Amino acid sequence: MEPHPPQNPPPPTGDEPGWPERPKNVRRLIALTIVLCVAAVAADLFYSKHGHYGFENITGFHALYGFFSYVGLVLIAGQLRKFLRREEDYYD
Amino acid sequence: MSEHLSALIVVLPLLAAPVCLLLRQTRMVRAWTSIVAWACLCMALTLLERVHTGGVITYAMGGWDPPLGIEYRLDALNAYLLVIVTAIASVVFPSGVILTDTSLPEGKAHLYFAALLLCLAGLLGITSTGDLFNVFVFVEITSLSSYTLISLGKNRQALTAAFSYLVMGTIGGTFLLVGIGFLYQVTGTLNMNDLALRLPELLGSRTILAGFAFLMVGGSIKLAVFPLHQWLPNAYTHAPAAVSAFIAATATKVSYYLLARIIFTVFGAAFVFDALHLHWLLMPLAIAAMFAGSLAAVFQTDLKRLLAYSSIAQIGYMTLGLCMASETGLTGGIVHLFNHALMKGGLFLAVACVVMRTGSSSVNAISGLGRKMPLTMAAIVVGGLSLIGVPGTAGFISKWYLVVGALERGWYAVSVLILLSSLIAVVYVWRLVETAFFGVPEHEVCEVPWTSWLPTWILIGATLVFGIWTDVTVGGASAAARALLGVTP
Amino acid sequence: MIENLPPGMILILGALLVPFLRGRVAGLYMLLLPVLGLAQLLALPDQYSLNLEFLGYELQPVRVDRLSRIFGIIFHLAAFLSVLYSLHVKDRIQQVSGLAYAGAGIGAVFAGDLITLFIYWELTAITSVFLIWASRTEKAHRAGLRYLVVQVLSGVLLLAGAIMHYEESGSLAFGHLGLGSTGTQLIFLGFGIKAAFPLLHNWLQDAYPQATPTGTVFLSAFTTKLSIYALARGYAGTDILIPIGAAMTAFPIFFAVLENDLRRVLAYSLNNQLGFMVVGVGIGTELALNGTAAHAFAHILYKALLFMTMGAVLHRTGTTKATDLGGLYKSMPWTTFFCLIGAASISAFPLFSGFVSKSMILTAAAEEHHLGAFLVLLFASAGVLHHSGIKIPFYGFFGHDRGLRTREAPLNMLLAMGCAAALCVGLGVWYEPLYALLPYAVDFEPYNVTHVVTQLQLLLFALAAFIFMYKVHLEPPEIRAIHLDTDWFYRRAGKRLALSLGASVQSLWAAVTGSALGVAGGLGAWVARVHRPGGPVGEPLPSGKSALWAALLLFAFLVLALLVSDI
Repeated sequence: MEPHPPQNPPPPTGDEPGWPERPKNVRRLIALTIVLCVAAVAADLFYSKHGHYGFENITGFHALYGFFSYVGLVLIAGQLRKFLRREEDYYD
Repeated sequence: MSEHLSALIVVLPLLAAPVCLLLRQTRMVRAWTSIVAWACLCMALTLLERVHTGGVITYAMGGWDPPLGIEYRLDALNAYLLVIVTAIASVVFPSGVILTDTSLPEGKAHLYFAALLLCLAGLLGITSTGDLFNVFVFVEITSLSSYTLISLGKNRQALTAAFSYLVMGTIGGTFLLVGIGFLYQVTGTLNMNDLALRLPELLGSRTILAGFAFLMVGGSIKLAVFPLHQWLPNAYTHAPAAVSAFIAATATKVSYYLLARIIFTVFGAAFVFDALHLHWLLMPLAIAAMFAGSLAAVFQTDLKRLLAYSSIAQIGYMTLGLCMASETGLTGGIVHLFNHALMKGGLFLAVACVVMRTGSSSVNAISGLGRKMPLTMAAIVVGGLSLIGVPGTAGFISKWYLVVGALERGWYAVSVLILLSSLIAVVYVWRLVETAFFGVPEHEVCEVPWTSWLPTWILIGATLVFGIWTDVTVGGASAAARALLGVTP
Repeated sequence: MIENLPPGMILILGALLVPFLRGRVAGLYMLLLPVLGLAQLLALPDQYSLNLEFLGYELQPVRVDRLSRIFGIIFHLAAFLSVLYSLHVKDRIQQVSGLAYAGAGIGAVFAGDLITLFIYWELTAITSVFLIWASRTEKAHRAGLRYLVVQVLSGVLLLAGAIMHYEESGSLAFGHLGLGSTGTQLIFLGFGIKAAFPLLHNWLQDAYPQATPTGTVFLSAFTTKLSIYALARGYAGTDILIPIGAAMTAFPIFFAVLENDLRRVLAYSLNNQLGFMVVGVGIGTELALNGTAAHAFAHILYKALLFMTMGAVLHRTGTTKATDLGGLYKSMPWTTFFCLIGAASISAFPLFSGFVSKSMILTAAAEEHHLGAFLVLLFASAGVLHHSGIKIPFYGFFGHDRGLRTREAPLNMLLAMGCAAALCVGLGVWYEPLYALLPYAVDFEPYNVTHVVTQLQLLLFALAAFIFMYKVHLEPPEIRAIHLDTDWFYRRAGKRLALSLGASVQSLWAAVTGSALGVAGGLGAWVARVHRPGGPVGEPLPSGKSALWAALLLFAFLVLALLVSDI
C-alpha cells in the first residue's frame, strides 16, 4: 500500500537509546495511560454528572466519544489521502 | 507694484531667461533660475491668498481694458495652479540632479536654464491669462522650450522623441488655433469671460460646435488623453530626468486646467455635459487610460517609462473627475492634479538620483539599492504607495474624492473600476519595492548628496503631509471646483 | 505627548528608528517598545476615545473599552515575546516589519470607525508580507505575493462595504453591524477572509509556513485574531457564524492529520482553533464572548509557543518535515519540554491555559442548545489532541530517531519559549486575572468535577486511541507528499495561465469554469502582448499613426457635437 515506506536509519552507533526509547519504558507509559483511562471512567461512578444534555450523563460517554472521534478522524483522513495526495514538487 | 503681481509672475521668468545668457557661468545661472522660481512661488502664494480673501483678481495688460485688451484673470482655480507650477519649479530647479543625464556641451548649461525659465513662463502664462489667443501664444512658448529641453537628453533617441513630440504638439497647437479662430469668427471676441457671455445665444452654430471639437482635441493632445498620449512615454523617457520631473509635474496639469477652463468657464457645464454629452466620449477614454496606462506600466523595464505610463493612467483619473462635472468629482480631479504633481515630481527626481549614481534608469538598476541608497529608495516606495492610493498618502485623498464623486453620480461601476485599476498599480509599485529591497545589488554605489535627496524628499514628504492634513489641498481644490462650476461660496 | 498617541503608534513609529540602532542597544530598544506600549495602554482610562473630523467624516481613531483592551494587552504581550524570540535575527527588514505589523494590529483593535480600521487593516497586510519574503526563497516569494493579494482583497472588501454602509446608514462607526445590508455583508466577507473561513482559508496554510522561523511567530499572533476581534465587535450573535465556525474546527484537522510539514500542521491547527472562537462569536451570549476573548488570549500564547518550538527546530536543523525529524529530545531537551507544555495547553488538559478558555465556549454552546455545534466542537477537541497534542511533539522530538544531532536553541529563543510556557501554565492554574480582563462580568468556574473528569476522559481515550492505532499500523504514516487544498484552484490552474499576468482572480475563474480556461489564458496573453514594450499600447505609435488617432478623435467629437447632441 505504501510506495514510500518511511525510512528509519539506525541512530548513530555508540548512542545509548534514551529513556523514552527503551521498550520497557514504552510499555510502562502505555500501561500508565490505560490505568489513567480506567480511573477516569471509574471516576464517573463516584459523583453526579451535571451535563447539559442527558446523554452526557451516561457513564463513560466522553471516553467513548473521544476514542471513536479519534479513530474516525484517522480512518477518514486515511481515505482522503487517496484523493488529495500529490508529489511534493507538484506546484513547482 | 502689488496690483501688477498677476502680470509680474509671468513677466519675471520671461525676462529672466535672457539674463541667463548674460550670466553664462553655470553656478550663477543655476542660482539665478532658483531665485526666479522662488520669487514666482512667493508671488503665487500671495495671489492665492488674495483670491481666497478678496475674490477674483483681474488685470488689464498695458492698461487696455477687456474685451479689447488682454486680460489676466485669476480665480481660485488658476491661482491654485500657479502655486503648483511654481512650487514644483522651486524644488526642481535648485536640485542637485538638475543637470544629471543631459547632453550639454561644456559651458552651454546657461541655454538649458534659459529654456527651463521660458518653459516656466509659458506655463504660468497659460494659467494666468484670460484671453484665448494669448493662451495659444503661451502654449507655443511652453511647447517650443520643452522640445528643446527634451532633445537635451543624453541618448540619441532624445532627438527623435523630441521630434515626435514636436509633430504632435504642433498638431495640438494648430487644432487649438483653429478652434480659437472658429470661435472668434462667430463671436468676434477672444476674451474668455466675454465669450462665456456671448456664446449661450450662439450655441446652435455649427461653427461654434466645430470650434469646440477642435479645442477639445487640441487640448487632449496636450494633456495626453488616451489614445493621444503617444508622444508622452518617449518624451518623458529620453528627456533629462530633472526635465521629466518638471514637465511631468506641471505641463499636463496646465493642459488639464486649459481643458477645464474651456469646458466649464467658456462653454459651461450645462452645454457641454447636458446637451453635448461630452462624458459619453471622454469617460470611456479616461477609463481606458486608467487601465491601459497602468497595465503598460507593469510591463516596462525602464523606470522613467514606467512612470510615464503611470502618468497616462493618472491623467485618466483626472479626466474622470472632469467628466463627473460635480463639485466632488472636480475637487477629486483637481486635488489629484496637485497630489500627482507632488508624487510624480518626487518620483522622477528619485529616478534622477538613481541615474546620477548608476548611470542607468532601467528597473534592474535599482536592484538591491535599498541598502545602498536608503533615502532614495524610501522615496520611491512612499511615492509608489501614494500612486496606489494607500491611506495616509496624498493619493488616497484624491482617489477617495473620485470614488465618492462617482457614487454621488450613481456610477457604481466606475467607482469599482477606479479601485480595480488601483490594484494594478500595486503590481508595478511592488515590483519596484521588491527589486530595490530584495534584489542583488548590481552597482557599488552610495547615497546621493543632500542637495539631491532633499528636493526629492520635500516633494515626497509633502505627499505624506497632504495625505493627512488636507485643509490646504482639498480646501483649495474645492474652492477651485466651485469657481469652475460658478457656485459662489 | 506619549500618552496621547494612539495605541500601536509607539510600535509603528518606534519601528522606523530601529535601522539607526546597532547591536545590543537595538535589541534592548526593540524589547522596550512593547513594554512602553503596554504601559501606555494600561494608563488609558476605560471608555477613553479620540475623535476627529477628516474630510468631513466623523472618525474615532482610538476607542478603549473592555473588548478592545483585552486584545490590546495580549497583542502587546505577543509582540514582546516575538521580539524576544527573534532577538538574534540581524535582518533589518524583519525587525522593522515585525514591529510595525504588531503596531498595526494593535492600532486596528482600537479603531472606533471603519476607515481607521481599514487603514490599519491594510497596514497589517503590507507590513506582514515582508516577514514571508524575508525567507528569500522563490517559494516564499510567490507565497508572499499570493498572501498579499488575498489580504489586500480583504481590505478592499472592507473599504467597499464601509462606503456602502455609510451611504445607507450615514455612519462610519465600528459597532455592531449585523448582516442587514449589502455593505455590511461585504465587510463580513472581508473579515471572513482574514479569519480564514472555510474555503477562504487557504492563504493561511499557504503563507505562514513559508515565513522565516521568527516571522511565523509574529504572523500567528495578529492577523487572524484581529479578525476574530472584528467579528466579535461587528457580528456578535450572528447565527451563520456557528455553522461556519463549527466547519472551521472540523475540516482542518483532517488535513493536519495528513500533513508532513509540521509548521503547516500548526497552521491547520491555528485554523481549527479560530473555529472555536468563531462559534463563540456566533453564539453571542456574554459567556460565549467572554470565552472567545479568553480563548484568543490563551491561544495566542500557546500557538506562539508551538510555532516557537518549531521555529527553533527549523533554525537548528533546517527542516520541519515529520519525515526528517525525530529523536530531537536528546539535543534540544528544553525545547522539547516547552513543546510539551504548548501541546498540553492547546489540547486543553486541566491545569493548562486552553482548558480554562475552551470550556467556556463549549459550555455556552450547550447552554444555548446548539447540539450540532457542541458535538462538532467535542469532536474537534479530540482532533486537536491528535495533530497538536501528539503529532507535533511525537514526530518532532520523539518518534523515529533519524540521527539528527544538533544544539539546543539559542538563549533568547529559550527565554521567549520559557516565558510563553510559564504563561500557559500560569493561566491554567491562576485564571482569575484573565477572567477579570474579560469583556463581561464572569460567572463561570472551569474547575468543577464534571468539567475536569469529562475532559480527561475525552483526552485520555483519544490518547489511548492513538496508541491503539499506532500499534495496529492504522495511523497514517508520515510521507513526503503534499495534500491538495483549495489553493489548488489558484495555484495549479493559475500556472497553466499566462505566466506573466498571474492574476489569481482570473485563474480561479478559469479553473472553476474549465472551458473559460482557454479564453482567460488567451486574454492574459493578449493583455501581456498588448501592454508589453513593443506592443501596441506598451510602445508609443509613430507620429503618423498618432496623428491619425487625433483625426479620428476629432471626427468622433464632431459627430458627437453635430449629430448626437441635443442642440
